[in-house]
Amino acid sequence: MGNMKIKAKEKDGIVKAKVMAKHEMLTYNAAKKKGKEANFITHMTGKVNDKIVYEISSSQFLSKNPLFKFQFKGKAGDELEMTWIDLKGDTKTEKKKIK
Amino acid sequence: MNRRKFLGLGLAAAVLVPATTLNAIDFRKTKPDTWTAKDVESGIEALYGAKPTASDAITLKAPKVASNGGAIPVTIRTKIEAKSVAIFQDVNPESAVAVFTVPEGGIVDYSIKIKMKASGKITVVVEDKAGKLHSVEKDLEVALGGCEG
Repeated sequence: MGNMKIKAKEKDGIVKAKVMAKHEMLTYNAAKKKGKEANFITHMTGKVNDKIVYEISSSQFLSKNPLFKFQFKGKAGDELEMTWIDLKGDTKTEKKKIK
Repeated sequence: MNRRKFLGLGLAAAVLVPATTLNAIDFRKTKPDTWTAKDVESGIEALYGAKPTASDAITLKAPKVASNGGAIPVTIRTKIEAKSVAIFQDVNPESAVAVFTVPEGGIVDYSIKIKMKASGKITVVVEDKAGKLHSVEKDLEVALGGCEG
């Protein structure tokens, strides 16, 4: 199920990143109604050169296809690597060069 | 899908918690009680084991009236040298929404979209380097509840 979109842009040594993870983010309540299994992203990290620049442990109460915006010190040309893992244990990694 | 099968699947999913190779802190594993706490106070207590003091050094941005409770944009900014940042609210079945781990020298300027099923209060707790807790709260109205997905 899905993927993610990453945008990262550097200005004056600060990288502004936007990440949209495509995920249903089904809460326990909503899943019960639909007769599906609850599933949501539980943990996500952003790394540049193997250094963690962003980390979030999340619950079911993020929106559907959650959007994450954040900033960190970095430079253009490096690669931002985002990884998330969901309740079912699915994990996705996506890389994007910082502009 | 019948109920029995559904419950069985849920159980299987709970058992199959994978061993993450990420060298990061997953608060869902280290502080499992945080995610099942029903109210904000006990959520904070479970996560940090202490009570925060209100601070005006944190900026919490959220709409006064959210038209869609399924995606409420929340922005947190602070100049405090933080170790972690946690978001709670008081209307969903459990109070914890997310916990950020702030990397060394990290900039706290986070925006995410959250779900709230009714009008309520968002509480943000910032843990600084010394382990002191700072918090800020904001009330907001939700026109359309977002928990039904």
